Amino acid sequence: MEERPNALLLKFPGTNCDGETARALETVGFAPRVVPISTATPDDLDGVSLVVLSGGFSYGDYVMAGRLAQLVTRQKLGDALRRFRDRGGYLLGICNGFQILTKLDLLPHTSLVDTISGRFQCTWVKLAKHGDRSPYLKLLPEEFELPIANAEGRLVTETSEQAKALVEQEFAALTYVDNVNGSFEAIAALQDETGRVLGLMPHPERFLYRRHHYDPDWNGDAEWGWGYYFFRSVYEAIVNEPALAGAEA
Amino acid sequence: MPEAASATSIQPKKPTYQHIPFLHLTEAELVDLSGRMKLSLSGEDMLAVQKIFQDWGREPTDVELEVIAQTWSEHCKHRIFGATIEHTTASGTETIHSLFSTYIKGVSERIMARKPGFVLSAFHDNAGFIQLDEDKAVCLKVETHNHPSAIEPYAGANTGLGGVIRDILGAGKGAKPIASLDVFCFGAPDTKPEEIKADDVIHPLGIMRGVVRGVRDYGNRMGIPTVSGAIQFDPAYIYNPLVFCGTAGVIPIPDIDKTMSNGLRVIAAGGRTGRDGLHGATFSSAALDTESHEEDQQAVQIGNPIEEKKVSDFILAAREEGLIEFVTDCGAGGFSSAAGEMLSECGGEIWLDNVPLKEPGLISWEIFISESQERMVLAVKEESLPRLKELADIYETELTELGVADGSGILKVLHHGETVCELDCARLHTAPTKHLASTFTLTATESAGAVTSASWAEDLKAIFADFAIVSREPIIREYDHEVQGNTVLKPLAGAAGDAPQDAAVMLIDGSERLMAMSQSLLPEWGKTDPYAMGQACMDECFRQLVAAGANPDKIALLDNFCVGNPHDPAELGALVESVKGLADAADAFNAPFVSGKDSFYNYFETSEGPVSIPTTALISGIGIVEDAAHVTGASLRRADSYLAILGTTDAALGGSVFARVRGLGDRLAVPGTDCAAALDLYRRYHGALGKGLILAAHDVSEGGLAVALAEMAFSGKAGLEISLDNLPVNGEVGAAARLFAENSSRLVLEIPAEQLDAATEHFSGVPFAILGRATGGHCDLRVEWGKETLLHTSISELKSLWKNGLTPYY
Repeated sequence: MEERPNALLLKFPGTNCDGETARALETVGFAPRVVPISTATPDDLDGVSLVVLSGGFSYGDYVMAGRLAQLVTRQKLGDALRRFRDRGGYLLGICNGFQILTKLDLLPHTSLVDTISGRFQCTWVKLAKHGDRSPYLKLLPEEFELPIANAEGRLVTETSEQAKALVEQEFAALTYVDNVNGSFEAIAALQDETGRVLGLMPHPERFLYRRHHYDPDWNGDAEWGWGYYFFRSVYEAIVNEPALAGAEA
Repeated sequence: MPEAASATSIQPKKPTYQHIPFLHLTEAELVDLSGRMKLSLSGEDMLAVQKIFQDWGREPTDVELEVIAQTWSEHCKHRIFGATIEHTTASGTETIHSLFSTYIKGVSERIMARKPGFVLSAFHDNAGFIQLDEDKAVCLKVETHNHPSAIEPYAGANTGLGGVIRDILGAGKGAKPIASLDVFCFGAPDTKPEEIKADDVIHPLGIMRGVVRGVRDYGNRMGIPTVSGAIQFDPAYIYNPLVFCGTAGVIPIPDIDKTMSNGLRVIAAGGRTGRDGLHGATFSSAALDTESHEEDQQAVQIGNPIEEKKVSDFILAAREEGLIEFVTDCGAGGFSSAAGEMLSECGGEIWLDNVPLKEPGLISWEIFISESQERMVLAVKEESLPRLKELADIYETELTELGVADGSGILKVLHHGETVCELDCARLHTAPTKHLASTFTLTATESAGAVTSASWAEDLKAIFADFAIVSREPIIREYDHEVQGNTVLKPLAGAAGDAPQDAAVMLIDGSERLMAMSQSLLPEWGKTDPYAMGQACMDECFRQLVAAGANPDKIALLDNFCVGNPHDPAELGALVESVKGLADAADAFNAPFVSGKDSFYNYFETSEGPVSIPTTALISGIGIVEDAAHVTGASLRRADSYLAILGTTDAALGGSVFARVRGLGDRLAVPGTDCAAALDLYRRYHGALGKGLILAAHDVSEGGLAVALAEMAFSGKAGLEISLDNLPVNGEVGAAARLFAENSSRLVLEIPAEQLDAATEHFSGVPFAILGRATGGHCDLRVEWGKETLLHTSISELKSLWKNGLTPYY
């Protein structure tokens, strides 16, 4: 009988991609559960393999995107997410989730700020993989497409050298092939040294099925889009490490 | 009555209302009072109100007068659509007893009787529902927010979308919003400032930017994809921009019906109540002038989408747990409308002292009619209250016990124990019938004759650079049109991801079926022939839905009208004619209206006299796509396929972009539409989708056939070799009309080479012709007619004009 690893989606007021992200997780084999932050406690992480911060506008993002969500997460969960990471848990932030993650000190220090055009951008982008550390990207080709939709997706570091170092040391898991938002070194996704913590601006959950693509002839009769392979990769990484799948606090 | 919560500590300490000396006022004094209180009630209405209180033998309170003004406002009661109209045309005078009952509702009820089970709810709820599959229904609602957007574009559009989303949350026992559409009418973005003949009018560029950002920031934050829309640019909209916001929703069928009963608790959820949005309903029932921009600021609400997202999460969770008996949104008229509507039959009490306030100092009537945003009103069983409070805490929204339904038939409003309003619901909802006169004379009857051109290619380029045609991409990309992960036919698609489409198609979670959504408006036609406009809008909306894959027998439509001065017989006459056009088309297409809305007084007193908008009808629709394989885009997919046309081309050029760009005058006849014949074509087309005979389909609309062909090729897959020799035509049709006529009921089809014979066979007996083929040999649009090459032009050059036309302005 198939054991479904547990995935926990934290939902803040204004989180709005939890439904389709849960659908994607369910489709690849996880047992997802959406937990509103008002009820969240460190105990919710027990028996969980993957924690997802999905997209949206937590608390409206009226101050810097993700800042209030970070404060509330600290208040509610303390350092439980860090302990979860330390015991082998996987932590994924998508779009607004990435913006929150950058403020939780679980990724190399960066900021996501207004795109260089000053606009919200809802479009598809081509992405390039870097290195083979990421368990989220194993089943994906060297280049692939995903949609983005954000106004604060421009990844910056205090100095340009720091951004270069992120690429050289393979903290940059994905870069934009065309740098649509002016990110330093065109960085689209960032991971920690283990690869288990990943933040990315593109939305893999929006390219679950082939028919999510804008071109009706994309990839012939394939059933799945690249987003499926993204979530399936991390699913396989988890089920192939049984010690992690049942990790206890 | 429960103790007032601590959140109400900024409540006034005692009720703040007064009795108005009223019973003995003369008509002139009543009119004066209506003006001073901003009630927007006419002398006739005020006399009717006076009669009610004379019958009751007491003076009204200010709260009661405000409640009646809200309830009887044009915005809430649609009294012009219910009026008795003497309509005069060349063929005589007829008396119409209610445009709504006669044409909109009357026609729809006949259609519903012809296809039972399809429409599950229409006209009485916040949105009408049609059946999606065995378990689920979908709905659509479209509202206007014109007056607020004229004065404060960002906030006006922001709350326009916020308001229509609440309509969906308040439809049935709470539908889930799944997609939005937005349609705007503005002055041209390059309007010269000196062309604006009034002070304090915001330039169209400022209106456009503010409105788009308002929609963006509400829709994106709510996580509802904005997937469809349109923009019309015309100088007539400089003073009165139009902002239509629509949202579609999905609901389990058993949750559509809702009923009020005695003993149910009335609760409010969501945002707090403040002074923002006082008199919105009555304000929008009057014309704008320069003073409006200063005086009516408080009539514009302030939006907070996260507040609405929280209340939305709460409502959907409560509905799924079966805790909601009745729900409606707080829109125009605030609690007075929402609670008044909810208690309209059984009556009940409302307790104003429980209402959480944003600011101190509100007096009784202000609390009751404030249009502060993000508030929903629910009726629930008393035993459900504890769990509802838990859910409100989980989703971090505020829940207030507002009152109780008591079966008295009386709307009783209490404030600190004192009755500030006590109205018999039966009389509250019976406003006097208006009596109006309208006239219509058709002046656009001329033929363009033989139109020649030094270069059809230059004409085509001028059309592609026109604001009517240019790509809306800079705006579309500001909207998150993919959130919820269900947008499978996107507003921009095709192989390059940036070509225009006819309709959006959404997956529906938990269903094998999909929903298509589209809209049409043709104000240019309506300037001269509103009846033809009504028919053509219906045809275009219907056709776009069918083109994208909807079953032509499973389409429901909405009508939204915007009119200038309804007391001008010619303007009202244009409305009557357009309503008739719509109704006749609905009947022929067998497609019912399930919801609609109207907005009047879209005129402005400029320094050079009043300026009215042209009578503008927006038709929007949803259609059921029964199989994901039917989803069909409007972009060329192969380099060896055939291009065909379905439908007949007419010689009439009235209302076309070509006629305007070439300055052919405004007396040209606009084409008629044979809707019954069109339905046959569309059913035939839908049959071809089922057989796999169609790769892509694009409707021929603004810009005509030449524009449709080029737009299909914007996918970058191939060039086109086209001949117009076999084009099905109606009478003598010259080169101009062959290329640029905009008559209805035509689709360009892309047919796979291997299906050419099967397609030709399938379409035998209807107007259909193979026009040519796609080619990998070049990237041009080549169009020949007889021995003449009409067009030989680079598709990428056309695309560049089209794609970059709006970028300097947005």
